[in-house]
Amino acid sequence: MAGRVIVITSGKGGVGKTTTSANIGTALAKNGHSVVLVDTDIGLRNLDLLLGLENRIVYTLVDVVEERCKLKQALVKDKKNPNLCLLAAAQTRDKSSVSEEQLKKITEKLKKDYDYILIDCPAGIEQGFQTAIAGASEAIVVTTPEMSAVRDADRIIGLLEAADGIESYKLLLNRVRPNMIKSKDMMSVEDVENILSCQKIGVIPEDTGIITSTNRGEPIVNNEKSLAGKAYMNVARRINGEDVPFLDIDEPKDFVGKLKKFFSGLKKQGKE
Amino acid sequence: MEQFLNDNMYVIDLGELNTAPEIIFELSSVLDKEEVKNKRICLKLGNVDLNQAQLLSIKSLINGIDSTLSCVDTKSVETEKVALALGIIVSNVSAENAVELAPTMPYKLAEELREEVTNTQTEENEDIVEESDINGESLNDAIIEDNENLASEKVESVNEAQEIFESQTEEVQVEKEVVAEPREIINSDMDNSAIPEATKEEIQDELDVIFGSTPSQTVFYDMQHPTEIYEEREELTDIIVPEQEYTKEDIELESFPTKYIKQTIRSGQVINYEGNIVIIGDCHPGCEVTAFGDITVWGILSGIAHAGAGGNQKAKVRALKMNAIQLRIANCYSRRPDSLNTVYIEKTNSFTPEEARIVNGEIVVFKMND
Repeated sequence: MAGRVIVITSGKGGVGKTTTSANIGTALAKNGHSVVLVDTDIGLRNLDLLLGLENRIVYTLVDVVEERCKLKQALVKDKKNPNLCLLAAAQTRDKSSVSEEQLKKITEKLKKDYDYILIDCPAGIEQGFQTAIAGASEAIVVTTPEMSAVRDADRIIGLLEAADGIESYKLLLNRVRPNMIKSKDMMSVEDVENILSCQKIGVIPEDTGIITSTNRGEPIVNNEKSLAGKAYMNVARRINGEDVPFLDIDEPKDFVGKLKKFFSGLKKQGKE
Repeated sequence: MEQFLNDNMYVIDLGELNTAPEIIFELSSVLDKEEVKNKRICLKLGNVDLNQAQLLSIKSLINGIDSTLSCVDTKSVETEKVALALGIIVSNVSAENAVELAPTMPYKLAEELREEVTNTQTEENEDIVEESDINGESLNDAIIEDNENLASEKVESVNEAQEIFESQTEEVQVEKEVVAEPREIINSDMDNSAIPEATKEEIQDELDVIFGSTPSQTVFYDMQHPTEIYEEREELTDIIVPEQEYTKEDIELESFPTKYIKQTIRSGQVINYEGNIVIIGDCHPGCEVTAFGDITVWGILSGIAHAGAGGNQKAKVRALKMNAIQLRIANCYSRRPDSLNTVYIEKTNSFTPEEARIVNGEIVVFKMND
């Protein structure tokens, strides 16, 4: 059994790479796959915080690379899900501590034992990015419907196409606000897809619950009521090859809106 | 009977059973439960002497449900020898299954121990208070001393952190051997001056606790040379006790130089010093402070602190507000309890200074002002 190595990248910072990694990882593990999350953001690690594993880290990626410990020793098991492991980045070092070949070696080793290896890529296109994509064969490009993030995503896709190892890449649109799209204040999902000419794998709506879940150290997929959680769950199923229809994220909160939506839904059904 | 310790560890208490068939029967009924599967199991056995074949069959029983027998806590020397011969660590956790190497044991707060004192051993407590009054000790000291005794009785104190140490570099192991040497260096004059007068009964009580009820609590001893354990234990029970209190480690601590740092230690910053460290300022999450001696933080400690990094078991970590992600003292590792994972610590003018030290192989945090 050879696992799939997927890098989660974006170019621009703050679009939700780490949140996406944590949630897709947790979702895949919930669906019964064995998953390792590898944080390659050395010096600015956050993935451990999002998973609430901050206090359990003894050895890090850098320790593994510098052979201070075995790979297995550095894998921190998730509190809730035994299928999920984290290989944390060192906080006290910098990106130059790990080279492309070294990360490649680690992912090759992990491939043998795990179904999915998700690599959380640092922001930027420098050494850290090059290292992170070295071992991966697939990529998920995270972007938000803002011009700057889309530009950076375009640059990243260019680099991914030029990279040797990356066989396929998909787009994940994060922090989408349906109301703003409706009022033409935000690019629509289709717009972004057209600009980047890249197939999408998921659309995640903006959700204030993300902030709460980050602070609590619990991925939002564990909250079944959350729309963003559901969307991440669907992304995980799509990664696994299932054909899942895209979630209707257009959910007005007030009663009148809900009523309108209900009737428009009836109308649509009538037409069909 | 059995006890859920944490995510990966299961303690099964069979201490009351006296024959091997009873143990195997009871064990197989416990092992039927779903929650015991895929765990590392710690067996607590009583006085019963098990031979190699019996222990092997217990081991294969446990292996049969995808769990591993990682440690045995026994009162019988015979069983202990057999377990060691089979590669099972006695009252300790094997480093074989390294996936769970992260410190799975949260550090204890002194109140938890104290509660147990007030609940279970109120009578004993009163005795000690009386004695301590005579000796001019503070009430607090006496209670804490009692806490230490209690802590050693706990089977939960199976030192998981040790396993991490086992897998550390050779360097540390060499230092550990030094620690394990018999403490003959200390001369008696020094003992008298440094140690609060303890009554003979107290000493006897302590001895009972340390060597009687939990003989396999061998925190100080080198696991690499298990045979030394017996020898040393006999030696200690026969004569000297004060060495327990004032060791060459204390002398070492007192002779360390001290470094003062007046700044906030931020995420990613590392401070190493072969001596004591005093930080006047906060230590933010993500920083690492490593000292051969004590670490004192005049502020909020939220990062990782490693005192006694050279192997000194008597090293302590003190802070005005203790919120450390991980505390490491010598070879003991512990993590912050998950319940204390908060977004940030409010900065107020009232602090509760706390001190962390090793009590019978566990890191325990004591409040300093009550």
